[in-house]
Amino acid sequence: MASTPHIAVIGGGSTGVGIARDLAMRGLDVTLVEQGNLTHGTTGRMHGLLHSGGRYAVSDQASATECIEENRVLRDIASHCVEMTGGMFVKRPEDSEEYFQEKLQGCKECGIPADVVSGAEARQMEPHLAKDVEKAITVPDGAIDPFRLVVANAASAQEHGARIETHSKVTDLLVEDDEVVGLEVEHASGPGKRVHGTEGGTEEIRADYVVNATGAWAGRIGDMADLDIAVRPSKGVMTIMNIRQVDTVINRCRPKGDADIVVPHETTAILGTTDEEVEDPEDYPEEQWEVDLMIETLSELIPMLEEARTIRSFWGVRPLYEPPDVGSEDPTDITRDFFLLDHDERDDLPGMTSIVGGKFTTYRMMGEQISDHVCGKFGIDAECRTADEPLPGSEDFSVLRDYMDEFGLRSPIGRRSVERLGSRADEVLKTEGPNPTVCECEGVTRAEIQDAISQSGSDLNAVRIRTRASMGNCQGGICTHRMASELHGEYDEGIVREAWDELLQERWKGQRHALWGEQLSQAALNYALHATTQNRDNDPAGGDPVDFAAFDSGVDHTDDSGTADVAADGGKPDGD
Amino acid sequence: MSDAQPTDFDPVEPNTGEGFEPVEVFPESDDFDLRPGADSCYKCSVCDTNCPVAEVDDDFPGPKFQGPEQWRLKQTDDDYEIDDSVMSCSNCMRCDSACPSGVPLSQMHNTARGEYVEEQMDKLSVEYVRNRILSNYRLSASIASKVPRLANFAMNFGPARWVMEKTMGVTSERDFPEFAQQTFREWWAARGGADASRANAVESRERRGEPADADKKVAYFHGCYSNYNTPDVGKAMVHVFEHFGYEVVAPEQKCSGTPMFANGMLDDARRHAEVNVSSMSDLVDQGYDAIASCTSCSMALRQEYPELFDIDGIEKVASNTFEAIEYLRIHEDVKGEIESAEVSGELAQEFAYHAPCHARNQGLERQAVELFRDLDGVGVEDVGDSCSGISGTYGWKEEKYEKSMEIGDEMFEHMEHAEGETGMTECPTCAMQMEHGTGYEIRHPLELVEAAVVE
Repeated sequence: MASTPHIAVIGGGSTGVGIARDLAMRGLDVTLVEQGNLTHGTTGRMHGLLHSGGRYAVSDQASATECIEENRVLRDIASHCVEMTGGMFVKRPEDSEEYFQEKLQGCKECGIPADVVSGAEARQMEPHLAKDVEKAITVPDGAIDPFRLVVANAASAQEHGARIETHSKVTDLLVEDDEVVGLEVEHASGPGKRVHGTEGGTEEIRADYVVNATGAWAGRIGDMADLDIAVRPSKGVMTIMNIRQVDTVINRCRPKGDADIVVPHETTAILGTTDEEVEDPEDYPEEQWEVDLMIETLSELIPMLEEARTIRSFWGVRPLYEPPDVGSEDPTDITRDFFLLDHDERDDLPGMTSIVGGKFTTYRMMGEQISDHVCGKFGIDAECRTADEPLPGSEDFSVLRDYMDEFGLRSPIGRRSVERLGSRADEVLKTEGPNPTVCECEGVTRAEIQDAISQSGSDLNAVRIRTRASMGNCQGGICTHRMASELHGEYDEGIVREAWDELLQERWKGQRHALWGEQLSQAALNYALHATTQNRDNDPAGGDPVDFAAFDSGVDHTDDSGTADVAADGGKPDGD
Repeated sequence: MSDAQPTDFDPVEPNTGEGFEPVEVFPESDDFDLRPGADSCYKCSVCDTNCPVAEVDDDFPGPKFQGPEQWRLKQTDDDYEIDDSVMSCSNCMRCDSACPSGVPLSQMHNTARGEYVEEQMDKLSVEYVRNRILSNYRLSASIASKVPRLANFAMNFGPARWVMEKTMGVTSERDFPEFAQQTFREWWAARGGADASRANAVESRERRGEPADADKKVAYFHGCYSNYNTPDVGKAMVHVFEHFGYEVVAPEQKCSGTPMFANGMLDDARRHAEVNVSSMSDLVDQGYDAIASCTSCSMALRQEYPELFDIDGIEKVASNTFEAIEYLRIHEDVKGEIESAEVSGELAQEFAYHAPCHARNQGLERQAVELFRDLDGVGVEDVGDSCSGISGTYGWKEEKYEKSMEIGDEMFEHMEHAEGETGMTECPTCAMQMEHGTGYEIRHPLELVEAAVVE
């Protein structure tokens, strides 16, 4: 090989960015394309659990062992994305004692640190646990922010020379002489659309090798080259609580079942989940009974959930895959392991490999194996460094500091900001100008919003996933217009309006499934605020740029032919 | 922790046998987890627009941040600190009554402030020492009232006040309240205590045609101010209640804790609350109701105690505590008696009435105006719903004095516009502020009730 091979990676989820980072660090040329934002697919729709492996310790010990290994790696290289909350498998009186013992044994066999604690001890750690929880197994589960992790991987890949293209949908695979030689993408950019990287139209990206890391969408990509990749997408619901009822990951200790986990995530707690096969990863029903089931069932573990406020629900689709000869009926029986499908070996179509199945926690390990595989194709013997080199934001950052004084921020806001930014805190938060709080619920300041805009352009949903702005209890009621205002200057009115609309729509989407009790009040207030102060219910500007200059000189009074029929107070001009 | 674990605990063989339940699952300490309170907040900001401090202090982020936002952003682990701006909250508690959604704002503020003072405040700092002294007014007052004349001179002696301001940050702008020559309790004891009161009550019952053994008895929580500074208010309370046939007792009591909550001195407050709850709950068991003449004292016993402390009998005391006039309006036809009465003499005049914030929180802000509406010879005019600005110790702090006066401006202005040139309020520190801002003499509604109905 004379020149550096150019690898095209399809999919901006954890797997895709993990591969892109790994290959880029090994010196290959990488282009990653993603149809939406980073984490647009399944990665952005998970419960944020950093597995200890405990959940698989009985049914799938190979996965469990991988999980605990990667759990340790991620704590190290992605420290600013991880909160080591610890986890528990709790046993209620009706749950099987035999299974409890199997779980404990399984954890030990897989090298997962596990201890039994009494119900009383468990309640001392988590006071809101049900009084009849008998005992629990503690494991090193944690919480991880998938958005931050993926963004950091992409940033690292970019630092190593990769090109990351979001909002770029693959429309075709280029096949020449029975070999995949690249892709055709359609960039959702150009005038009127928000600008991302390369502007406008379609682009042919020629590559020496293509990696299809599109998860539940893998079959779609396969179809473009007549490859049959039978991913079995399975949906799961996750319901977000307004606050953390627990500070530890709470798992129900029973073989399998819906609604058996609560993950404390940043300011919230996420309840999960269901497992139901769907036809289309983009079009499946989101049903209220699924949400009700989460709250009802998990209230058996944490009774206060029954009365607590939910702020939204969302669904994700697992990209499950099993070799066609296994034939599991129930999606919960399908392995969580991943499969590397080399289309040369499998379908006699060289130039592309698909990666399907797998888990978020082991994304890096998957990336390593795919990268080894790709490097093998080109006879490159480069060592994988992704397990040792910290991600941007997770560099050594153990110095105890007084955030508030240093950045002039109020205590919990400074604290949250620094947790999100990790070692980038100095660079982002030390600003010249005033730094007001833009999102009050999550404590996000202007400096952090501006930093996100500098990374992702005008897409406010991309700003949201980078900062958590608009993800708190008002779900953007108070801050979406503030976030949109932050685009001003760099972007013109049309782009700002479109970005604002998109963010608002996205925020409403998840709230539809939480419209009772307090969140209904919130939604009503948001609606009233947005309608009465921002014309969001019926904007007369209708999306067309407003000619603000027309207002500057005021109304022309020289013409008294009766055009102005209403006085400033709303009455008739000649009224008494 | 140790209560719940057997000492021979073996992690592999947990003690999960029937009947095993730890003594205390949720450690009943002062560090309540108030995050769930944030569920009720939908960020409408009505609390911020009602906060008198936020209105004049641009550095104060307001109750929404102090309460639901800070609690939601905060985490239970220790290295999450409380923002120091909580010390600028005056604890007027207007946010509580402003909130349309039931967010426990003042509980969040009080708890956060307590945590801040306990964990983060330098115990040797001037601010801490000053706040500790201010909030333990009862202690200073009890000493000063031993030598009231000397104290009255010394406390308002110019050079001494200058030194106090410079070294301790207690503003020299204000005059210290005068100490009475005889405290309420001294008067009470000299008068014959509970026995004398019972005799008076029985006499009144006979006069009123009620059974001599009617079950009408109240325990008076006079608080510090009525005891050391304005015993006339305490005497009026006793006279009025006896007039309506109530036996009054004046049980052992300490400070209600109001100034301590406002300064985050929760340990001090708890110590005092324990004494108060203990003596009041015994009496409640015997059929007494607890009556306060100071609206902040009744507020403390009713709301802050059960929100902040877990003391045996606290709920019982809270649900049997009333403000004096509120109690009479519930149980007696006090309005009827007042309608047929007439006041002459020094109290026959127009009053500019200010409703204290803490009265507002108990739904009592209109009671004086309504009660005296048809009293001959007297006019009572409400001067509006603004905060007086002093909020107990807040206005005594040198760095807060200007803000305190700025908050009070609206009230001063309305008092000037009101017809009367005497003020009226239930709250002792509001009274100080009213007097300080207008020069008016300030009276307590009980004094007027006394003048109207007690012969």
